Amino acid sequence: MRCGDYKENYIKDEEIFQSRFVKFWLALFFIFLIVFPFIANAYMLYIANMIGFAVIGAIGLNLLTGFTGQISLGHAAFIGVGAYTSAILITKYGVSFWLSIPLAGLVSALAGLVIGIPSLRVKGLYLCIATLAAQFIFGFVFVHWESMTKGITGIHIPPPRIGSLQFVTEKDFYWITIVFVVLGVGYARNLVRSKMGRAFVAIRDRDLAAEIMGINLFRYKLTAFAISSFYAGVSGALWVSFLKVVIPEHFPFMLCIQYLAMVIVGGLGSVIGSIFGAVFMTLVPELLNVLSDMVKSYAPGMGKLIIPFKQVVFGFLIVSFLIFEPRGLAEIWNRIKKFFTLWPFSY
Amino acid sequence: MDISILIQVIVAGLATGGIYGLIALGFVLIYKATSVLNLAMGEFMTLGAFICFTALTMIHVPFWIAFAITIVFAIVLGIVIEPLILRPMIGEPIISVIMVTIGLGAILRGLMYMIWDPTYRAFPQIFSPKPLKLGFAVVPSGLLWGFIFAVITTIVFILIFKFSRTGVAMRATANDQQAALSMGVSVKRVFALSWSFGAIAAVIGGIVIGNISGINIYMGDIGLAVLSVIILGGLDSIEGAILGGFIVGILQNLAGLYIDPLVGGGAKDVAPFFIVLIILMIRPYGLFGKVIIERV
Amino acid sequence: MKKLGLFILSFILCLGPFSIAMAQKSPTICAVHPFTGRFAFAGIEGSAAMQDVVDMANEGGGVNGKKIQYYWADGEYKDDVGIAAFKRLYAQYNPQIMFGQSTGMTKALGPEIKSRYKVLYSAYTMTSEAANPKENPYLFIAAPTYTEQFGVLLKYIAKEKPGANIAFFYSDTEFGREPIVAGREICKKMGLNLVAEEVSQVGGVDITTQVLDMKGKKVDYCIFQGFVSNPIAAVIKQSKDYGLNAKFMGTFWSTELQLLRELGPLADEYTGVTAYSFYFQEDVPMVKKIREWTQKKYPKVEYRSQSYMENYMTTLLFVECFKRADKMAGGITGDNLTKALQSIKNFDVGGLMPPVSIKSNSIPVGRVYRGNSKTVRFDPISDWIRME
Repeated sequence: MRCGDYKENYIKDEEIFQSRFVKFWLALFFIFLIVFPFIANAYMLYIANMIGFAVIGAIGLNLLTGFTGQISLGHAAFIGVGAYTSAILITKYGVSFWLSIPLAGLVSALAGLVIGIPSLRVKGLYLCIATLAAQFIFGFVFVHWESMTKGITGIHIPPPRIGSLQFVTEKDFYWITIVFVVLGVGYARNLVRSKMGRAFVAIRDRDLAAEIMGINLFRYKLTAFAISSFYAGVSGALWVSFLKVVIPEHFPFMLCIQYLAMVIVGGLGSVIGSIFGAVFMTLVPELLNVLSDMVKSYAPGMGKLIIPFKQVVFGFLIVSFLIFEPRGLAEIWNRIKKFFTLWPFSY
Repeated sequence: MDISILIQVIVAGLATGGIYGLIALGFVLIYKATSVLNLAMGEFMTLGAFICFTALTMIHVPFWIAFAITIVFAIVLGIVIEPLILRPMIGEPIISVIMVTIGLGAILRGLMYMIWDPTYRAFPQIFSPKPLKLGFAVVPSGLLWGFIFAVITTIVFILIFKFSRTGVAMRATANDQQAALSMGVSVKRVFALSWSFGAIAAVIGGIVIGNISGINIYMGDIGLAVLSVIILGGLDSIEGAILGGFIVGILQNLAGLYIDPLVGGGAKDVAPFFIVLIILMIRPYGLFGKVIIERV
Repeated sequence: MKKLGLFILSFILCLGPFSIAMAQKSPTICAVHPFTGRFAFAGIEGSAAMQDVVDMANEGGGVNGKKIQYYWADGEYKDDVGIAAFKRLYAQYNPQIMFGQSTGMTKALGPEIKSRYKVLYSAYTMTSEAANPKENPYLFIAAPTYTEQFGVLLKYIAKEKPGANIAFFYSDTEFGREPIVAGREICKKMGLNLVAEEVSQVGGVDITTQVLDMKGKKVDYCIFQGFVSNPIAAVIKQSKDYGLNAKFMGTFWSTELQLLRELGPLADEYTGVTAYSFYFQEDVPMVKKIREWTQKKYPKVEYRSQSYMENYMTTLLFVECFKRADKMAGGITGDNLTKALQSIKNFDVGGLMPPVSIKSNSIPVGRVYRGNSKTVRFDPISDWIRME
């Protein structure tokens, strides 16, 4: 229990990890992350990697939608742009995996800049639909620009290498994912406590007032789009190098919805919310799968009732989450922390 | 270019556009009063088609009775869903509300799977399959009836909104909730009713599309292309929905006629989204939408 | 608070079965079926078929006395869900044979199956990538590839009307585009004129421009690929309205009763190629066996579609490969199973297909059927056609 908690200057107030208690548990968590691949099997590592990619993508979307208030239904398109860029660079131009990741992010960021332009004219739902249009247009390009993307046949990608060391299995790739996740989370967390982060939040809360205060809406909105798409591009590039194949059908509209759900269920406007949301949206369907497998083995003929029930349960979880805890998992987490901070004097 | 083909294509586009307009109407009716974009509209459509199908094949009632049953079902659906799911979300950011509608869609899809099979089914023949032969063009039966239904439904709703008390109440709520409340309008009832209206438009759309292409539980995916229609027409304009539908239908067909051969197909389906982007650049609030002017 | 606790508890509970990697000695098949999603109509039938064949085989003594284990999961016809399910099943049950839900999943997992998993693999697909023994000997399909199906249809057309005008009508998806390039080549070889290619979305409501284009180019035969039911029915119906006099044909997934029901009185207009006998062809011995089994176990089921037949045939081959591999040195391993697969020549399947010989990891045999609007069935209008 913390007491005597006072800050003497702004720097201390802005610290991300504010107490020794938090730092201790964070160190433990890192140790767990490092030990994990040695105790988990291939399936769990696969899920862990997928969670990692989702975290990066979700942080990107949260920066745009949660922090800057620009609703985007085009996130899957940016993931796709990054994925294809990386794949084309590696296979067609022989660029190494390590260089292709930031390049993919940059190309995505450029795409984000372009799609962000309508945000200067429209807001809210209209922006939503503009980004949706972008999503479908990019989908069309993925299928039809066959000279680059090989259309529906897709591109097969060799696994990443450092010298002669190849990252083939899920366990190998896990290390790559962890590095990028830590980098991504660290940068985002720092971004939101910086001047740019504050500008984003100001735009979300009252953009007219922000403009009066001197925040250049044009510049910051486009920057938000660019950074968000950068994250999406990196996430996509990592994902397809992991899968070792990229086809246009990997980036449907449903993927946008999934990321939006991650961000909303996790908590808009919070980096740790993105992490929670990504974990939730990846793990819960898998858990439901495992549960339905178990139920299936007890009642084999009931497959037709049990399996769609998974969808019902999932939709129901999302709906009830949003109704009962609209500020997401991050809010629940904060409440737990607050409870323990004052325990046992929580009254 | 052969003029007769052009005319034919435009006529067909007009008819299809009517169907788009019908579904767009559903979106608009809900948005107008509640400012919510209901992305579960596709599932409402599918549900309507299935209810009508079940009424026709299991209870063997004539079409007009099945139609009435479906409409009643739509009204009930709206009245049940709105207080259950949407009212707790009043005041939440718009993106959360949209996500709730998506979750609702997932629930409906799962339930439909459990009640009906995922097999593709043919809709029983309810209209004569003979096409309408105008001198200069032919309109296939499915599209023709879709067009007729769309126009009639739109006119009915326009009349309701202009002349009936309920309609005026809904317009008042859309304009200013507080003022409407203080004038004695039950905003709660208006919300529930607007969902019912939206559901009615959706289920009629479902029946029409089911008639053309058969039904299966995933047929609601067409709902997304309709978003371009409502952008064009304006998110809160009923006339805009049907007119926007016509325009998008025609433009889509023109794209199919002229652009498809150039890109090897698929242009027809992506054309509505290009239209959206262009409209947003020039006239973001659509042709007939309410223009919100913000000045600093 | 409660929610979080429940979450953590169930997570821990489920970690249990994961961490036990059971090394199964008994022959095991694991499948990912598209039980929900757009292909659900196929997934439900397919999983029933696999279950039936495994049950029948086990009742008849299994594989030289060993019972076959069979586990499956739903892939929702989404690639990432399917791949996750694949890895989960593999980690849990260590099967020697696996079955996938779609073309996408097959393409994604192909290289890993070859290098890491080394299991015999087939899927709900007829893509040529799964029938390439030089590239990947572990993948095969118990049917003709889409390209081979196009070949069967075009061969039939060339005999009926040499030099006819052909149109390809396909969906803007992998499933739709797959055989088109090869199809163009086959047209040239057979001396047929490919005059039009039309594309549509799967749920397309308005196909006027495509129909008018075909009419303008005087198409005689239009071949569909990549659709199951709509907009094939819409195209056929509206072509009558617009005055397009073409004959319509389709490949495996659309040659099903559900399309005939959708077409109603126009069912006679549709001809399709399929690889297996139909459920209503009661004079075929294997079909009779399936009917008896179905009526005994699932009295409410009235019909089994071609998706059922496809999985049935594939599983028959799985069982046969198990039996042959079991007799080889080393027992049932992935490599022995591939050798067993290659050894299948003139394997009798009771008329479901003509005696099966695996050629280039597919079975390039098809039969052309025409729809019959009065009986709502398909009538065979050709004999079994082999593609060489």
